[in-house]
This record gives sequence, C-alpha cells and structure tokens, in this order.
Amino acid sequence: MRPPSPSIPEKEFLFSSLKESLRLDGRTMLEMRTPSLTFGSDLGWVECALGKTKVLAQVEAKMVKPQPERPFEGTISIHSEISPMASSDYEPGRPSEDEVTITRMLDKVIRRSDAVDKESLCILAGQRVWHIRLTLHFLTDAGNLLDCACLAGIVALKHFRRPEVEVIGDDVIVHLPSERAPMPLAIHHTPFCFTFAFFPDASTPPVLDPSHLEQRLSAGVVSISLNAQKEICVLQKLGGVPLGADDILRLVDVSVTKAKEMHSFVEASLMEDWNGRNIEVR
Amino acid sequence: MPPRRDGRRNEETRPLSLTFESLARVDGSARFSFGNTSALASVSGPIEVRLAAEHPSEATFEVAVRPLSNVPATESKAIASAIRATLEPSLILTKNPRSLVQLVVQALSPSAKHTWNTTLAAAMINACSLALLNASSVPMRGVVAAVAVCHSITGTILVDPSDDELVDVKSCGCFAFIFADQVGVDDSRSDCVWTSWKSSGGLDEAEILKAKEMAQRSAQTIYRALRKAVANACGLEVDESMTPEEGKSESEESEDKMII
Repeated sequence: MRPPSPSIPEKEFLFSSLKESLRLDGRTMLEMRTPSLTFGSDLGWVECALGKTKVLAQVEAKMVKPQPERPFEGTISIHSEISPMASSDYEPGRPSEDEVTITRMLDKVIRRSDAVDKESLCILAGQRVWHIRLTLHFLTDAGNLLDCACLAGIVALKHFRRPEVEVIGDDVIVHLPSERAPMPLAIHHTPFCFTFAFFPDASTPPVLDPSHLEQRLSAGVVSISLNAQKEICVLQKLGGVPLGADDILRLVDVSVTKAKEMHSFVEASLMEDWNGRNIEVR
Repeated sequence: MPPRRDGRRNEETRPLSLTFESLARVDGSARFSFGNTSALASVSGPIEVRLAAEHPSEATFEVAVRPLSNVPATESKAIASAIRATLEPSLILTKNPRSLVQLVVQALSPSAKHTWNTTLAAAMINACSLALLNASSVPMRGVVAAVAVCHSITGTILVDPSDDELVDVKSCGCFAFIFADQVGVDDSRSDCVWTSWKSSGGLDEAEILKAKEMAQRSAQTIYRALRKAVANACGLEVDESMTPEEGKSESEESEDKMII
C-alpha cells in the first residue's frame, strides 16, 4: 500500500517556511524536541519520547553457550520490528526501507561500536556466557524514529541490571536479585544518534530532529552517531543531497554540543530513577 | 479461607489502571493494567485494505500481538487469533465493506514463564476494547471485558491472580464477556464469548461454572471502569443505570446527561 504523499500546499508551505528558517512546530532549525524518559518497574524497561515519537526498549539476559569462534565473549541481539502501531504505513511482516535502515543503524551504533563490553559477559569460558537481548518497539512514528530508538536502546542497556553469578570450579550459581544485588552491564561509552534532514533547495539550511512531515519531504538525511567524548561512531549519509566537507563538519560540531547535553540529561534521569527505587543493600 | 498474599479478597482484582495513550499516527489507543500486568492496544480503521485481504461485504479485522521481548512467534499468533475471535462479536463490520480494521496489541509486561499468559491475555482484551472505544470509528455492538481466574491448589477460586499466585495452581483461564443489549439470558445483557480454561487433572464442570460466575461479576466491575474512563475522557458523568430504559426516564429530567 503506497502511503499518501503530502499535499502540494503542505509541501510548498513547508519549503517556503524552512527557507526563512521557520519550522512548523516553532522550533529553531537546530533544536531537538525535548526527550522524555519513563522507566518501568522492571530494570531495563524504558519508554523514550521525542515529542510525539515514542519508542519502548526492553532488555533481558539469559545464559547460553558461546559461539565456538569466540568462547570468551557474550552476545548481544537487537530486535527492532516496526509494527502498524507506529503508523498504518508499516505493513506487518514486510520490512520497509525505513525499517531496514533503522535496524542497520542500530546494529552499528549499539553493537558494532562496542558500547557494551562483551568480554565482561563471560561466565565460564567456552561454556556459559550472557546473551543480552534488546527489544525495541516503535509505538509512534512522528518523525526521527532512529534517534529515538538509539536513545531508548542505550538508556535501557544502562538501566538494566543482570543477576550476579558466582563460579566455583565448574559450577555456576546464579543469585536471585533478592539475595545479591544485580550488576549493571559494563558500558564503555554512551553513543547518541542525531539526524539532520536536507531539502531540495540548496539554500535551505538543514534541520535537526525532523518531524514526520519534514522527514517525508526531505531530499536527504544525514545521521551522526557519537558519544559525549567527541568520538564519532557512525556517520551515515545514504544518497540524497550532495554536501561539501564544510557542511558535514558543521553538522558534526552541532552534534558534539547536543551529545554533551544529551549525556547529562540521560545521567540525570537514570540517577533520579535509581534514587526513587527502594533498594536495601544489606 | 487463607487470605491472599497481597491482602485482596478472592473476587477482587488488582488495582486497575486505564489510560488513553493518544498515539499520534493511529485512530485510537489505550493502555490497560491489572497491577503491573499491562498491555497497550492501538486501532486504525476503517482504513485502506490490501487487495488480497479485501472482503466484499464487510471490513477485514486483523489483530497483531507483539510480546515484550523477542520477535512475535507461535504464542503471539495464538493469542492474536484468540483476541480476534473474542472481539469480532462486538464489532459491526458490515457497515464498512472493503476496508480494514487493524488492531495491534503490545504486551508491556514480560510473558509468564510457567503458565499460559492468562492475566496478560485479559489485560490485552481490555486494552483492545478501550482502544476501540477511544477510536470510535468502528461501529460496535457491545463491549468485551475479560478477567483471569484461577483455582489454586488450596481449593479456592481466585480472580486476577498475581504472578506469584500463578506458580502453583490446579487450573486457570481467562474469561471474556460481551456487554451489549439483546445478549445473554433473562435480560442479563452479558454473555461469555471466550475462555481459555485449562486444568491439570481433568476438567470439572462445576468448577468451570463457578469460575465463570466469579469472572462474570468481576468483568462487570471492569466494564464499569471502561465506561467511566470513556466518560471522563469526554468530560461527562457516568450514568450508573445499566439499561437504556432506566436512563431514558432520568434523561427526560436533565438534558445534559448522556447515556453511555
């Protein structure tokens, strides 16, 4: 089913407003929607919203046999299927182009950037390792699902606590959360993703965190994933509008500032949630 | 009779939580929870249907269930077809032929490890009813409310068992009831449309009937909660009378009250 394209008046109105650096929702060109994080009662359950775009992330861990070629490393799997709940444009069963891009980007940002230390997930070399499963549910697509998903994913991984295990010889004892406090995952760095949308008219400046209409009418999209330590994990530009090196560097500068802000926001939210939990450590 | 671990009576459900999510890209959405067992449902419809699924005289009704972790597998398909069969009697699909009513249910709690997801299935069905009421775009014959019931090994029948109560049970299941005019016997206006009762150690007819009776009373409470949520969302007062006749005599006095 072909999604209905935006109408010509909508298109013309958007383009002429953007030329004057006015966005339809009142934001400035490089302003992100305020992210909001809601943590569930279980550790590793977080709902992230960027304006109306909502993504739910959940992390769980189970013990498995490691891959034979990597006996000292645990595994991480990311499931991110878009259901028709996000929008009726997404058909069940058939991954759309957006979904494939998001899945690949999530894989690069969270798995391949080595955000989570896989060697710390080893319990008994060659026999038992932790398998971390991150599942993302896209609840609403109001533009920029990718950034919301990356944020939800990495916050859920930071929020999650795995059960503590004790290894005595060849025996593995898994302690219940009530016996021993569960341990956080070893996270090297916190990557965030920022998406910029470009429009057909070269004089229109790029927008950060496009809304649904802006994303649909954009000619190209650039996604930059980096952490607060100014390390770029992924820079993705899939076709679209030709850009000079200066333009890209300008985007990187903007992303660096935003990454720092996002990092302090995430840390503050996690701290607030942690303090609100009644955890007695005996 | 031993009291329940959390102090509830046998026929009392956990605290209910009903919220309208207002998800932006769908027609209606709602979240329903029994304590911390919760589900989110969204409905879009009537919308364009793909040719293969088109039906000439009625709308196509599709339900998709997504578990909290991992990709949807066999169990999700089973719950989806059960939910579809449960809700179909309440919808008047013939009013919108050649269209699609798309319902997506998202589990917000993890799947139970030892028994089939009775409490989660009940939460899902209630979330679906609430989402359909929120969308108000599909004509409905009635409203379906569901609740889980179990028969513990101590011999008592408990309504809406919590996860630790479900660990050792003799039998358990979810009952779904439709609340509408002209259903049920003796003007009761409610009828059982689905059950997933399963028992270890043989099916006892008397036990099932007793469980169904307790479930029906509990489902009435849930139905009232659904009505109240919809009324509050519209800023209206709930008319406590259960039949249109009772309501009509009152509405002649005050024009502002709307019968829901």
